[in-house]
Amino acid sequence: MTLSLQKLGERVVWLRTAQLMINEEYRKGIFKVPIHLALGHEALAVALESVLSRNDRLILTHRNAAYNLARCQSLQAVRDEYLLKKSGLAGGKLGSMNLANPVRGIPYASSILGNSFPVGAGVALALQKKGKGIAISLGGDGSMEEGTFYETLTFAKAQKLPLIVLIENNKWSMATHISERRAPIDLTLFARALGVSYVHLSGNNVYTYVQALKKARAVAHKNGPVLVEAEVSTLGDWIKQEEKGPRLINYHSGPAPTVTFGGTIATIRRSPEDPLQVLEKKLGAVWLKKSVSKQYHTLRKELL
Amino acid sequence: MTYIEHINTLLRIQVGKLPLVIYGQNITRGSCLGGFTRGVLPGKGGRAINTTNAESTLAGLGFGMLLEGQSSIFFTKQMDFLLLGIDQLVNTYNNIRSASDQKELGSYTIFPITVDSGLQGPQSSLNTFADFCTIAKIRGYTLTNKWDAGRILSRHLTAPGFRLMTVSQRMFKDELLPLPKPLWVGKDDTAFQYYAGDGATVVAFNFALPQAFTLREELKKAGIAAALFNVNSPTTYDCGKIIESTNKTKKLIVLDDSKSDNLPHNHLLADDKLKPLTLRLVIKRELKKDWLYPVKDLLEIDYKKVVEKVCKT
Repeated sequence: MTLSLQKLGERVVWLRTAQLMINEEYRKGIFKVPIHLALGHEALAVALESVLSRNDRLILTHRNAAYNLARCQSLQAVRDEYLLKKSGLAGGKLGSMNLANPVRGIPYASSILGNSFPVGAGVALALQKKGKGIAISLGGDGSMEEGTFYETLTFAKAQKLPLIVLIENNKWSMATHISERRAPIDLTLFARALGVSYVHLSGNNVYTYVQALKKARAVAHKNGPVLVEAEVSTLGDWIKQEEKGPRLINYHSGPAPTVTFGGTIATIRRSPEDPLQVLEKKLGAVWLKKSVSKQYHTLRKELL
Repeated sequence: MTYIEHINTLLRIQVGKLPLVIYGQNITRGSCLGGFTRGVLPGKGGRAINTTNAESTLAGLGFGMLLEGQSSIFFTKQMDFLLLGIDQLVNTYNNIRSASDQKELGSYTIFPITVDSGLQGPQSSLNTFADFCTIAKIRGYTLTNKWDAGRILSRHLTAPGFRLMTVSQRMFKDELLPLPKPLWVGKDDTAFQYYAGDGATVVAFNFALPQAFTLREELKKAGIAAALFNVNSPTTYDCGKIIESTNKTKKLIVLDDSKSDNLPHNHLLADDKLKPLTLRLVIKRELKKDWLYPVKDLLEIDYKKVVEKVCKT
């Protein structure tokens, strides 16, 4: 059963608020490990988390903050891990970029582009043998340029593996936009060439994302690999004054310098690129304001 | 029985015991990697997969299965091919072993053939197993004869966790060395002693055991009883008994056929428990100008000269 938009929306707001609270502390220099926040990825993370069944596995990248938070539902556990405390989600052994949570179905997270696709295929092969669950392996528009992306899908198709390869396409690889580094790649055609099912997600509507991912999950379980491409905007960019003039710096890692949070306004961009703006349009400004306030107090209480 | 026939027989037995996933290119097709994997099939519930040509991905697959508790073996025709999977050997393995409870993991063995015949050309000239093992302190085993193959395969091939194993292509068609049962086996089966002797200590590394065996025979003819050891693991091997023997004989002869500058015998020579010696002879590959051409890859030894040296000291 799919949760209502309102219920899903609460989770999206919780996740945004939790990330903003980390960002505030990060700006103060509290965290020493490099953290890649995923502001703007919340609708996808909540949708994906809500379609996972008990035997499913999530294989993540260095930008795993949103998924780990959504999965473990504890800011304290993730924050303590970033502080390398024993009380952290992984006992302070993994920090941020490799943060996994096997107990909650996240066996592995990799900070090497393209490295996690083969591991995800291996997990899928083991699950196929057990006859239960699927593996979902994440990557970005940068990691899909690695050879393992093609290799993994080719192998997964040949073995009909229960695998979703999910590409979070934010159009940036560190500080380089797609248009600066390669020709555009049409993943519809790419998937068709390999005989792999393809699903495209855009618009940040958490409810429709859940519906689409549920279908993709069923296809992967029954027929083999599915390639999902989700358009995301990693929020938190800023304008840098350079010699040649002002230049947009897309957020990659570290504290987002232009994003501030005082406990009330959590929206970052006034466009559908921000999942909170989408919720505001669907559920209203009053609902969003109340929800942010509620989640902020819940999270503060947890940290106390 | 030839070297590869024996290893193939042992593999059939070990692999057939468990519901493993075994995979690699052509493992059940064609020559089955020169007879290496012929007839090797997992036990009930297992799978044998002839894979796509994608070594980087193939190296990572086993780690994914290991995380999910599924045991697997990746067989590959050439150790050189594994270079494409180095990211997985280093980064994935480091990640997994830093955080995982080893008891909950499956078993994963990557089993390449060391292509050391030397006739394949410049792109197949890498013959040093230590190059792979030392890059991330990976436990690795060379299989050189019936005794070490039997013990290592039965105890480590499907044990929880990850390791590398390798066989020598150069030795495939050779008859098994007529070695006696080992007198001593080092911790974790990292080294073996086959003969005792007070006249000299002979130690083989990588795949130099056949030459070391011949040298011991030649020394015996000259009236010198040499202790014979083989080191099977290039990283953190147990050399306690080797040092004990060397400190007694005061004559150490090391044979290492590795072509790399990363020579596993250096750990032994640097051990501070080694007392001053009357003879320290290191026989290793002297690479000539043609070492990257298709020429025979063999550690050549002037046995007569070596025996004379040992007799004189």
